Amino acid sequence: MNGGLGWVLVGLGLTVLVVRRRTIAVGAVTGQALVLVGLAVRDAGNAGDRLAAVALAARTVGLAAFFLLLITRTREAGPIRAGVAPLRRGGLGMALALVLAWLVPTTGLTSRDAGRAVLALVAFGLVVAATRRATLFQILGVVLIENGLVLAALQLPQTSMLIEVGVAFDLTLIALVGGVFHHRIFAEFGAGDTDALRSLRD
Amino acid sequence: MTDREALACAAIARAVLMAGLLWCVPRRWAARTAIVGAVATSGLAVAVATGALVDARHPHAGNWIAIDAASGLLVGVIGVVGLISVLASPAYLQTVTTALVGERRRATTYFAVLYAFWAAMLAVPLAGNLGTAWLLIEATTATSALLVGFSGKAGALEAGWKYLILTSVGLGIALLGIALLAAGVPGHGLGALAWRSLGTYASGSSSALVVYLLLLAGLAAKIGWAPVHNWLPDAHSQAPAPVSAMLSAALLPAVLLVAWRCEQGMAPVVGTAAARGVLIAFGLASMAVAVPFLSRPLVWKRLLAYSSLEHMGVIALGIGFATPLAMAGVAVHIVAHAIAKTLGFAAVTPLLAHEPRAAGQPVTGIGRTRPLLGASLALSLGTLSGLPPSPLFASELLIIAGGFQAAHAGPAVAATVLLALAFLGLMRALLDLTVGEKPARDTARPTGLRGVVALAAVSGVLLLALTAAAVWLPTTDLVRALIKGVS
Repeated sequence: MNGGLGWVLVGLGLTVLVVRRRTIAVGAVTGQALVLVGLAVRDAGNAGDRLAAVALAARTVGLAAFFLLLITRTREAGPIRAGVAPLRRGGLGMALALVLAWLVPTTGLTSRDAGRAVLALVAFGLVVAATRRATLFQILGVVLIENGLVLAALQLPQTSMLIEVGVAFDLTLIALVGGVFHHRIFAEFGAGDTDALRSLRD
Repeated sequence: MTDREALACAAIARAVLMAGLLWCVPRRWAARTAIVGAVATSGLAVAVATGALVDARHPHAGNWIAIDAASGLLVGVIGVVGLISVLASPAYLQTVTTALVGERRRATTYFAVLYAFWAAMLAVPLAGNLGTAWLLIEATTATSALLVGFSGKAGALEAGWKYLILTSVGLGIALLGIALLAAGVPGHGLGALAWRSLGTYASGSSSALVVYLLLLAGLAAKIGWAPVHNWLPDAHSQAPAPVSAMLSAALLPAVLLVAWRCEQGMAPVVGTAAARGVLIAFGLASMAVAVPFLSRPLVWKRLLAYSSLEHMGVIALGIGFATPLAMAGVAVHIVAHAIAKTLGFAAVTPLLAHEPRAAGQPVTGIGRTRPLLGASLALSLGTLSGLPPSPLFASELLIIAGGFQAAHAGPAVAATVLLALAFLGLMRALLDLTVGEKPARDTARPTGLRGVVALAAVSGVLLLALTAAAVWLPTTDLVRALIKGVS
């Protein structure tokens, strides 16, 4: 993988971290996933790889449609403000990415750029899940981590097609269950806002 | 395929087929179909467990399926806990007034998802490689999150959401560890991630330590080890009681087995002391976090949840000590904890029918108003506290002795103090429960009490047998097989 593609993936990840609009964030993770589908198709060397690429493409299209459906069904009165400002979120994400890169100097992936992009996407996903209040953004944080791990799987010297397809299926299932919860939380509280989810304490 | 593998596949396939069948059956048949299916599924699981435990010296470790003493122990526990949860479910469903799905599909959806969860859970200990184990753990998250939020109430949605996001993020971190591990292991395909291949990681010991920490930190979020345990009390308290039993008694130790296999597999490259030290640290941290909560009056299900945190810590400690004494303690602890926790959660439905305020406040005086219900709850809590002759007293003693045997005197002493404090906290709860202040107003007749009393009687006998077994267990092949693992 060349460095330019890595930057595109990281840039789209950073977009999810800082934007306020849900549609833009869904577009960013979908764009990332489409880049990954392109990489998977280009590098497919056998039938197993092609099947994994098809599974990835199906997951990308399915999730994009599902998220857009969720957005239309759960119209928020206004964007839910995160507790942490966009610039600070971006800074936190980049700082965590640098810490991960320091902790894991060699990833063993075929491309050094890909290794760094994987760590950056995982870091951004973690910060999105930790700092965004909107439930849909928290699901997108998990999807962002998934996209990073899909990139890692694509850049491994050899992987099991079954594991790749299984991971795509499992993570799609998680996103779907997350969507169901988002929908119910919106119906119960009138907003997909995790600030409403603070009643259980000891 | 060997007979043992075929039996293991049959147990899992049976549960998967039942999930599909229950999705389709008319709702009036759902409970009866689920119960008949549960007896058969549980029977197959117990057969797998018996084969693995009787022939513990000859584990089977393929790329797809691993059947050894540890997986046998867990499959047996999951099979029995699953059966009891299915048996307890009709009584729970009778009390449900709201749910994620409409009334017409409520019972069939509940049982179908419960079986899907059970199937994934049965497969986790039998996974022959880390990749498949991860996939199965993630599948348990998707299915059990739906069950945690099943009532559709605000608290259940909150608990289900926290559970889904925290464990998914944790498992994402573990998957990063798996990807880095796969990049450093020679070979390719499933074999590269097989348990025995983890020790061939060739990217250096410092990288191996980072990979190992990512794996364990990720899995810790699912096991409920402190400090990434935040979802655990909420999910256990808001889930339907039969599901809470499966989460606490079966799922947590099943995922813990995966962490244990990672430790056994990666110890040659990480270093035995470092690999075990991480487990000991998680164990002590979990116990230390649980103790203050166990010492204050809590709602019954939350009390059981914090007890899970404590006991997962104790098991981690035992695995970290890894001596024959400690391993015998771990084996007894897993089984005894499962029995006591299943009984505790099974008693929730009659408890709430008898005293609805128990859903939101600590229970007191149940032994005075309903002696049989009080006795069942007391048996569960007394066992979990480690009150002699509880097998958990014996197992904790074995684990601490194992710590001294392994020259880990500091952690062993710290664990002794924490266990004593937890015991005192739970004893206070036990006294409140049995002879505490009676409820202020008349309470209703508990429903489903007969089944819980029968379960308590069987549990009492099994627990005493386990205490006796703990005496001779350290010198058996079973313990040697647990130490050896499948790596």
